[in-house]
This record gives sequence, C-alpha cells and structure tokens, in this order.
Amino acid sequence: MDRQIKTLQDKNSYLDLQREKRITLLEVLDRALDKGVVISGDIVISVADVDLIYLGLKVLLSSVETMERLRGAPMAGAQEEPT
Amino acid sequence: MVIYTYGVIDSKDRIDETIFGLEGAGVYNVSYRDIGVAVSELREKIQEISDANVLKHEEVIETLMTKFTALPIKFPTIFNTKEDLLSMVEFYYQDFKDNLAGLRNKVEFGMKVIWPQDTIKQRIINACNKSNHSLSISTDSKAKSFLKEKFKQQQIEKEFQEEANRCIAVVDDYFNKIATEKRLKKLQTDNLLLNAAYLVEKDKQDDFKKAFEQLKSTPGDLKFLFSGPWPCYNFITLTKKPSSVDYFNTEDMLNRLLAQQGFAQERNAV
Amino acid sequence: MTMNRIIETNSQEAFIQEMEKVQDALPSRIDANPKNVEKGLAKLVLTLVELIRKLLEKQAMRRIEGGSLSEEEIEQMGETLLKLENKMQELKEIFGLKDEELNLNLGPLGDLM
Repeated sequence: MDRQIKTLQDKNSYLDLQREKRITLLEVLDRALDKGVVISGDIVISVADVDLIYLGLKVLLSSVETMERLRGAPMAGAQEEPT
Repeated sequence: MVIYTYGVIDSKDRIDETIFGLEGAGVYNVSYRDIGVAVSELREKIQEISDANVLKHEEVIETLMTKFTALPIKFPTIFNTKEDLLSMVEFYYQDFKDNLAGLRNKVEFGMKVIWPQDTIKQRIINACNKSNHSLSISTDSKAKSFLKEKFKQQQIEKEFQEEANRCIAVVDDYFNKIATEKRLKKLQTDNLLLNAAYLVEKDKQDDFKKAFEQLKSTPGDLKFLFSGPWPCYNFITLTKKPSSVDYFNTEDMLNRLLAQQGFAQERNAV
Repeated sequence: MTMNRIIETNSQEAFIQEMEKVQDALPSRIDANPKNVEKGLAKLVLTLVELIRKLLEKQAMRRIEGGSLSEEEIEQMGETLLKLENKMQELKEIFGLKDEELNLNLGPLGDLM
C-alpha cells in the first residue's frame, strides 16, 4: 500500500519536473531566439543549410584598408571622376 | 573556427571568472574602447538550434550579469573573424553604450496570462445574438445575408478585442507603477491573452514579486505564468540600421574601382 | 541558476501548449530549399491579396452602416464581397494554405493582420 502511493507520488513529481524543464526551455526560447541584441547584416553568419554570407560583400569588408583607401584618398593621376 | 557571441558588456577588462560556453570553450572578452563582447570559439558554425545550446547561451549571460551589465545577444550570433565582430561593435557602439546605461541595475520579469478564450467568445456571441445592433438591411438575397453575417462577425471580433484590452489593463495595473518600462503583447495566440515583459530595478524586485502574489490571489479563471529575473532581452533598442549604404557607398566604390582599373589600363597601353 | 530565477504558474500544461504554438510559428531555419520557394511566393502574394480583401470588407461595412448607399449598391457590394471570399477560399485550397499561414510578421510592429 505504502509502496504504491510512493510510486504514484514519484511519478507525479517526475512529471512536474519534466514540465518545469519544458517551461524553462520555452521561456528561454521565447527570449533568446527572438530578442536581445539582434544584429542583422551581411557579416553575421546565419543558421541555415545555405551559407548566407554574400561573398562579394565579404571580400570588400575584409579588406578594410583597401576600402578606406578607395573611399577617402584622392587618386594620383586619376581622370576626373564621374559625378 | 568561428566566433560565437553571448552578450555586450560594460567592461574592456579580462573576465576573471572561468566561464565555459558552447562546446565547453572558455568565454573571454573582446574589447572595443570601454566596452566588450563576451565570446567563445566554436569549431564550426551551429547547424541547428539545440536545447542544450540555447540553455548554455542563457547560462553564460546570467553568469556575466553577476559581474557586469550585459546586453544579451540573440541566439545564435556568430562571426567569421574578430575583425568582423569589431566592425559590428564599432557600428553599434553608441547604441550599446546607451543601452548599457539604461539597463544598469535592472532586470526583466515575464508575465504571461491565459484566459478561457472559448468561454469568453461564446459569451460575446450570445450577447451579440440578443442585441439589436445589427446591419439595418433586408435579408432578401444571398448577398445581403452575407453582409449581415459579416457585420455580426466584425462586431463579435471588436467586442473580443475590447474585452482583451480590458483584461490586460487589469493585470497590468498590478505592475505598472513598480516597473520602469513594459512591453505588452496581446493575443499572441487566442488563448495567450498576454505575454508581457517588465523592466524592473534590482532593488524593486521584491515589490514586484509581492504584486504578483496579490494578482495571484484574485478570484477568476485566468492562468498566470510569472518568471524572472531575466536578462533584459525585451528592452534593447538599436537605433542604427545597417544597409550597404551605411557601411560604404556601393556605387561610389564601384566607380572608384573602375576608375582605378581604367588608370591601370592606360598605363599598360603606354 | 546564478540569478535565482523563479518560474511560477498555476497551470504548467496550458502554458506549455500555448508557448509551443508560439515557437512553432517561429522560423528556426532559413529555408532556401527551391521546392518550397514557390509555396513561399504563393503565400506572400495571397497574404497581400487577403490584406486588401479584408480592408475592402471593413470599408464596405462602414459605408453600408453609414446609410449612404442605395439598395442596389448594397446588393452589388454584398455580391462582390461574397465572390471575393469564395475565390480566396478556392485559392487557399489550391495552394494548400491555412488561414493562419496568410500573415506576415513585421517584427516590432507585430503581425500584419
């Protein structure tokens, strides 16, 4: 008799624990998957089958020096730039 | 090998405590001026969202919060190189500073409410059926019957939304004055009346919990889920918006590249 | 954990059920599978058509309520709206799309409809 009740109590508290874990996970997912600092843009790797980094942009971004040079410095001997 | 990020912290110093992140890798600080990003290294980018990974991500952020003010980063946010990461921090630097200042010594609490949607809808439908407020047209055609029915449906929906607003206001009233800020999401599903996040100062946590105790003891058929404290996921605002124009002017860049090519060609011709 | 987080509820089951519905709606993988791209396109187009249709319905009802339309105009309006609704139902069936699927999440602005 006692042993039976104990098993039932154990079962219930086991179920409660499972549910508690499930709720904790769902609460974390509700926040971490969707909120927080959300960085969008091409330099962030996405979770996907397909690698969503746009290679052209990546090549340009990875060469910061070149970019700065192209953007800022006037080019010696270059023809008049198209407006 | 890629860089996995957990949160933005208000410190450029090394992280003293040993914190283990995903794949058991050590969490360290990549600093930029007076702030930093807590990261760890991953062998390869994450292929799927696993429970263990998300929970570990959360665990790391909560540990960081015991020592710093931390802006939790969405899961998963990964960078190929440290340079990529730093250019991102440079881009959002002011936003990060502002958010860190605003969230210092604050935590988030979650409040979810489930209501008996079916019962409430039925009550409204019954009331609408009895009421005299209906579309005043004759019902001598299929089209007109359609319109009359459509009008009734719209009335029911309107009443439903108003009832939801009323219920939410009652719940919110318990927490409104204690919290600094709130984010309320109404009827994410028909049964989930409210999914709310409240920003609460650390030293007001007990008051906030007491308010929930009071709400809990009110009679009614609402179901509550109270959780917290959490990192302030719902209260982060980034004002800068990335676009290729922000990083650099694509057209301008292309023109210069072409001009550079043209210049080189001219030289070769000689 | 280190923050002594509490989670308290008077109904674990109900919340698990609702929150799982919410999670199922979130895209956890970015689907670039070409087979699904067409269905995605149909979904987008039909969502926009549905938006316009619902707005039309609302506007029409307001005008009818306002009392400024003739019997004939009301009859025509009703017939058109009825046909539109039936047509949308047909299209949804053809593409195997459910009502709830014809919606767009606009991030911080919430859902479109």
